[in-house]
Amino acid sequence: MKLLKTTLAIGLSAATALAAPAIAGGTLRLDEVAVGELDPAKASDYADSILMFNVYDTLVLPVQGGPGHAPHLAESWESDGNSFTFTLRDDVNFQSGNPLTADDVVFSLERMKALGAGLSYLFGVVESAEATAPSTVRFNLSSPYAPFVASLVRLPIVDRKLVMENLGEGDGEMGDWGQAFLSANGGGTGAYRVVSHNPQEETVMEKNRDYFLDIAEAAPDTVRLRYGLEASTVRTLIATGEHDISSQWLPPEVMGALAREGAQLFTESGTGAFYLKMNTTKPPLDDVNCRRALSAAFDYQTAIRMIAITEDVSAGSPSTGAIPVGMFGANDGSMVQVQDLDGAREYLAACGHDPAEMDIEISWIAEVPLEERFALLFQSNLAEIGVKSHIRKLPWALFSEQVSKPENTPHISQLFVNAVTGDPDTLLYGMYHSSTPGTWQSPEYLSDARVDEYLDAGRNASATDAREEAYSILNARLMEIAPTIYGYDRQSVFAASDRVRAPALSDPAYAFGLDGMGFSFRLMEVAED
Amino acid sequence: MRRTTVILLRNPLSMLGVVLVAAVVISAALADYIAPFPEHRGAVVDFVHFNQGPTARNVMGTDLVGRDLFSRILYAFRISLLLGVVVLAIATPIGTFVGLLAGYLGGRAEFALMRLTDVFLSIPPLVLAIAMMGVLEPTLLNAMLAVTAMWWPWYARLVYNITRSEREEGYVLAAEVIGASTLHVTFREILPNCLPAIITKMTLDMGFVIIIASSLSFLGLGVQPPTPDLGSMVAEGARYLPDSWWLTVFPGLAILVAVFGFNLIGDALREILGADQ
Repeated sequence: MKLLKTTLAIGLSAATALAAPAIAGGTLRLDEVAVGELDPAKASDYADSILMFNVYDTLVLPVQGGPGHAPHLAESWESDGNSFTFTLRDDVNFQSGNPLTADDVVFSLERMKALGAGLSYLFGVVESAEATAPSTVRFNLSSPYAPFVASLVRLPIVDRKLVMENLGEGDGEMGDWGQAFLSANGGGTGAYRVVSHNPQEETVMEKNRDYFLDIAEAAPDTVRLRYGLEASTVRTLIATGEHDISSQWLPPEVMGALAREGAQLFTESGTGAFYLKMNTTKPPLDDVNCRRALSAAFDYQTAIRMIAITEDVSAGSPSTGAIPVGMFGANDGSMVQVQDLDGAREYLAACGHDPAEMDIEISWIAEVPLEERFALLFQSNLAEIGVKSHIRKLPWALFSEQVSKPENTPHISQLFVNAVTGDPDTLLYGMYHSSTPGTWQSPEYLSDARVDEYLDAGRNASATDAREEAYSILNARLMEIAPTIYGYDRQSVFAASDRVRAPALSDPAYAFGLDGMGFSFRLMEVAED
Repeated sequence: MRRTTVILLRNPLSMLGVVLVAAVVISAALADYIAPFPEHRGAVVDFVHFNQGPTARNVMGTDLVGRDLFSRILYAFRISLLLGVVVLAIATPIGTFVGLLAGYLGGRAEFALMRLTDVFLSIPPLVLAIAMMGVLEPTLLNAMLAVTAMWWPWYARLVYNITRSEREEGYVLAAEVIGASTLHVTFREILPNCLPAIITKMTLDMGFVIIIASSLSFLGLGVQPPTPDLGSMVAEGARYLPDSWWLTVFPGLAILVAVFGFNLIGDALREILGADQ
């Protein structure tokens, strides 16, 4: 067996070493978890974001390697109280050849709000959008909303004329708003056009030669994004040079094995964390001392060791509190959380429920095998303080259905959550505001007046200092009432062959600080086939 | 009986079957004494020794949270055997009862019972079990129920066929002539003649039940962690191939040993008992 393995390893590494020719626009092959949702108004997860950021463009883009946002489809913008006016570039055409106008922006917003899917909730505060001139668009907000410009990275601009020509059947004048058409075809200005799309199998894209910005020759000519590949398949394909970038969901051991054989590791960080969310409505976790006991019992240091990939690269860094380091209101790196079993026992003694009668249900999401290990780790941590627990594996579909009722929601739900716009509002509001309970992000069912107050303050304050302060107090409050165990600050890691260069995923000076944006293919380079 | 034992021991293949099954049963029964790390059957984590290949300390390596794979496989045998025994202990009497009645009574009873059996047989077995587990909570007990539900019809079919042919035999007619009751004829006269076939099938099925139960837990629908189970071990390890091969290879071999052993014995029994008849 040992001999077989050694032979196999030699064979695999030899194959990896072969591929290092000149960089020049070949085919890029990568994979993600199924399903790939192509309709940009429904995009929510990572695969959807990759599609959206390449087939569509947005008015602004995050600044690479720094804070803030830069104009993209927009030339400039100004704000006046609750209204924002954007002036569009005049040299942009859709992939269909139609020119980009302010009407397209208005249409995209209205379509997003009408469908009410994906991340449309980000635009709940936008009362209306109007085209004040062919290339000027004004957004009117119903109340102050500091992260508005940041949320525009989630408003892809759709080709209105093309969609209107392809409306499907549905209620009302707009029919299906072009859902049938846009879930199978591209309708944006993006740097890549869709050649074929099967949401369960593969999306093939090719470079849009008429893109309004220059795309380097070395950027991939063709991109094949495959869905739902097994970890061991990806591992073998990369090692034999038949695959270029893995998804971030490969287990750390597999990434480590690939790295040892010479694969590169790409990273994207700073917008999310790993959480063990406690159902605050279910005894014994309705008692704050019980929740604190569980938080103190979790072995944070071991969790960090579990996700180390190589000596230098890890899938996360120690948590310092409720807000990931790098965001408004985060504690500094010195306040790293550590396991405190004595403290946990004290909290447990102060808890109103009898520890001997507790049976904590720890769930993990079937599609993310790493979570099973955290479940086992936590189970053994709880055993150390004398609390019984059982582990339950839940497929994602079942989990998202169960969390809609507090009584069906497990005691502990393990989740990876990211700020979809890079702003703490989009990370925390959906999790903790009492108006948004029972979504996959909020299995805590938290209802705390002070948390609500600070969340609103962070959302409404326009000055950066005021926001920083609101989130800082919020952080302290969340640590006090412990609705969640903050496992670690997350960093996405991807294994890649040496055919590819992706500065946005390997050099902090080019990082976007927004999940999925690093996969802008136009900024990547790939070797000739 | 003695003749059976002699034949069993004389054939090298059936002897191998006996040895394999004995090894599995003994390691399951004495797991507490044999296992180097008995506590690793539960939620223990050891991140000093995790994901290591075979060493002197851990002869089959350790899993992803540092538990000794050898110890876990010994305990997993317990679950597999328990599942096999319980499933067959419930499925066989039900199936036999249904088959005897349908075969002997004939008429409407036969129609009703055998069509019910056909309904169960027409659903692919694993699909039926998956559907049941989708509704029920994934626990050991429910996994047993699901497998039992798909297993009894085979016994009903088998016993029905034998009963149908035995019904016309002289000894049955003789019993009827002297006024024996239906229960007496079926259970005292016909059933003993079905036993060799039933026992052979049970031995062969033991292996299949273990495989089906492993398939269920491979899909995450069977025994839940941290309880060690061969199917879920293979499923978990498959993501880490080819690097952490021991995670899949040893539990896979364990399934092979158990199933192969029971099948060899089953084959031998079929020969011996068939010759007896």
